[in-house]
Amino acid sequence: MNVSTLSQNSRNAGSREFRLPNLPFKSTNRESQTVSTSQCRKFMLWIDGVGAWQLCVGDSFIVGAPSFEKQSADIALLANVSRQHATVHRTGEEWRLDAHNRTSVSGKDVNESTVLCSGDEIRLAERVRLGFRIPSVLSTSAVIDFESDHRPSHSVDGIILLADHCLLGPKRDHHIFCANWPDLVVVYFKDGQLRCRSKMALTVDGTAVRDSAVLKHGAVVTAEDLRFRIEQME
Amino acid sequence: MKFTFAPESRPLDGYTIKRAIHRGGFGEVYYALSDAGKEVALKLLNNNLDVELRGVSQCLNLKHPNLVTIFDIRTDADNDHWVIMEFVNGRGLYETLQDYPNGMPLQEINFWLSGITAGLSFLHDRGIVHRDLKPANVFRDHGGVKVGDVGLSKYISESRRSAQTQSVGTVYYMAPEVAKGRYGLEVDVYAMGIMLFEMITGSVPFEGQTTAEILMKHLTADPDVERLPENLRPVLAAALEKDPEKRTHSVEELERQFCRAVAGADASSPVTLIGKMERPRPLEARRTEREVPQPAANLHSAAEPFAGTQASAAQPANGRPAVAYQANPQSPAAVMAAVAGLWNLLPMPLQWVLGGAAALLVIESGMIRPVAVGGMIGGVAYLGYQLIKTFMGEVSPPELSGERAFQAAQFAETQRERTPTNHNERDRHRDEASVAETFVPASKKTTGSRATAHRSAALRVYTPATIRKLSVTQRIADMSTSVSVSLAASALVTVAVFFTTNLLKDASEAVYFGAVTMMAAWGLIVPSKLWEGRRGDTVLRRVTLGAVGLGVGFLAAKLPEYLLIGSEDLFHGNGRQIVNVGRINVADGSGFPTSACFMIFFAALFVCRRWWWQADSFRKSRFRVSSALFTLIVGVVVTGMLQDFSFPDALGATWALAISAVVQLSAGWTPPEDRRLEPAPEPVPVQQPSTAAPNAEMA
Repeated sequence: MNVSTLSQNSRNAGSREFRLPNLPFKSTNRESQTVSTSQCRKFMLWIDGVGAWQLCVGDSFIVGAPSFEKQSADIALLANVSRQHATVHRTGEEWRLDAHNRTSVSGKDVNESTVLCSGDEIRLAERVRLGFRIPSVLSTSAVIDFESDHRPSHSVDGIILLADHCLLGPKRDHHIFCANWPDLVVVYFKDGQLRCRSKMALTVDGTAVRDSAVLKHGAVVTAEDLRFRIEQME
Repeated sequence: MKFTFAPESRPLDGYTIKRAIHRGGFGEVYYALSDAGKEVALKLLNNNLDVELRGVSQCLNLKHPNLVTIFDIRTDADNDHWVIMEFVNGRGLYETLQDYPNGMPLQEINFWLSGITAGLSFLHDRGIVHRDLKPANVFRDHGGVKVGDVGLSKYISESRRSAQTQSVGTVYYMAPEVAKGRYGLEVDVYAMGIMLFEMITGSVPFEGQTTAEILMKHLTADPDVERLPENLRPVLAAALEKDPEKRTHSVEELERQFCRAVAGADASSPVTLIGKMERPRPLEARRTEREVPQPAANLHSAAEPFAGTQASAAQPANGRPAVAYQANPQSPAAVMAAVAGLWNLLPMPLQWVLGGAAALLVIESGMIRPVAVGGMIGGVAYLGYQLIKTFMGEVSPPELSGERAFQAAQFAETQRERTPTNHNERDRHRDEASVAETFVPASKKTTGSRATAHRSAALRVYTPATIRKLSVTQRIADMSTSVSVSLAASALVTVAVFFTTNLLKDASEAVYFGAVTMMAAWGLIVPSKLWEGRRGDTVLRRVTLGAVGLGVGFLAAKLPEYLLIGSEDLFHGNGRQIVNVGRINVADGSGFPTSACFMIFFAALFVCRRWWWQADSFRKSRFRVSSALFTLIVGVVVTGMLQDFSFPDALGATWALAISAVVQLSAGWTPPEDRRLEPAPEPVPVQQPSTAAPNAEMA
């Protein structure tokens, strides 16, 4: 099942919901309809002196609780939410959120689907609060911040939903703010591979980067004052 | 930043390093996962000394929710010691302090204070002194506070004495008796007091460029409690007492005193707002404040919340000083403050009588309109300024990379020595500091003193009188920006005048008023910007501006003809007699001012004020209400003198205020923290010390 039929499904489901607005969500029913294999590829960025960030590459990202039976949510939070609680997806430059369970965005309950804007607060099942922002005007990529104490099972500082580029650098409008870096490093996805480039002299696994370089699982990127490692998550 | 261990390395069996967290004063800290997936922080104690670890092991089993738990201490294959401890995910107090450069809100302080106190009193209760309490050691974790490096302090202090790697960051919080090797629990009270001071004001009480300088201040200088709200002064003074015997005896007591002092205050406001701050302080207090040999910018930032103009809680990163009235003895603001102080000394009935007399005088002399108009324009202009400030603050937060700030500070320091300035007490003090600075190897300074550099860069006091170099391009850029902004500013001010008064009858009059205001502003800004940073004779400058004023006056007189404005109601004055000075016809008896009258007005207005101060990039704040009001007074006086020559009183006074407002709003302004004496500061090689300065004893 591809992404478009998935969203089609949820839209149909939502319109049913819409006619009976007082009905609570039937999560079991709903999950069976919306369950999909994730299209998303996930990476971890371990950045020295900065933190750990999860990078999600794709068009559609499932937010929910971790699960071991089926495919786990892309943004898997240790929280009392359903395994597929909501889906964040992107069409062109527009980000939307489909709610499969009780979700609100910036204080408004989401019945079916809503547009996400930079600065919105996503609230899942009362207590889980996530920040959604698009820090850079140069990129459509979004950042999910953890505003409540609910996080993935390991300490992650934030999640990057990669649309085109992920900017790591010393400015506040970079996706990952690396205060002490001299310049920015761009991580992007091209031809099925994660790549990086920078004006600085980078080395990937000890090899100097000429223009850009592929980042394979376990690649360590270093420059004069920085170092980070990329790991692909299963 | 280079770290010894690469990701995925396993210096200790069972743990895989994922990333480096930071480099502390005495070792590197890594985030690691155990084989089962437990996240821990691994601290490598890099001074491989033969250390007595038994003392540390006594603390290994301490458990408290406000202390970072140490799981174990292990030794790797290279015989290096590793501390395995709880990983704390969250922003530390150090980072949080940087978000609030002018002090934290009360609830935030309460949060940190109560957590630290709980953790420390647990330790003290068990006879353990932390010894290395500092913001970088305090973390926020899942809604609580955690104090780190517990039990390592003995190790740290051992290594500190032997190693040369002491970073400046740690000595800010070091009690004076540490220099004598005394480590009672009062050491922690002192550190707690310094942190509290820093949380309230945004900066530590004893700052300096070098370890030695800061240590010396801990030993000898008194903390400047004037920067604190009145009711907190005794609390902090007791906590920062030099003699451990006289100091507040426990952290709990310090917390209790603090809570008692701030009881009932609004928790969301900056602490500096609490207490009796609204009441104007008596003259004596101001006078002593001025005499304190301490950079005025410092007073400035501390005094900022007093004015209640900024909202540090709402926009913590925007820390530009915005206060108009602090302690410059020459400024009209200080004069006003002095007047206000004297006023408050008068008994109440006398105040009523004098106030009534003054009001009567204003009403009777026909000055009521200019005064009322002045108030309104001042208000609108201030609103405009606030809008600009908010906007600018959001667009460009004053971010300064530590290194650059440091270089700039260092440069300014050397520059200062070359610049001939009046060598008063304060300057001498600072020159000494820069001499002391040269004793520290450059590499060490750049790594260790990020925070200091940032702070001290903001501490330097530059006024419009400061001689500085400006490149031609800089001047042109500044001038053209100012001139173009003045277009918008004069439009804004004119609109304000148009709507708040009935001085201007229709749009064409408003255009006339705006055009003259703008021309006057240009006539003031352009020469001022040419003079900026240069030495110059005041009289000569005033004469030049007077000449410009003549020109502006001439244009103002001739412009109505071109704009086809019926000048009857706008210019209607009182005088009916004919006055000739030499050949010049000052008043023609028609009831309307002549060209000469206009020229005299503008020339006088331009001569009587030091306009280049109002247009200088280094003026105290972008818009000072006091400057505008003082100009208004000058305008009122000048028009008052010209009244007999049919010069319209309301128009003249309004013009004076409007021009001052436009000049201040549009002339380029550099926030104090960005002020440099040179266009592009380049790193200056550290000078060789030529004389032996007394080297302060190290701990």
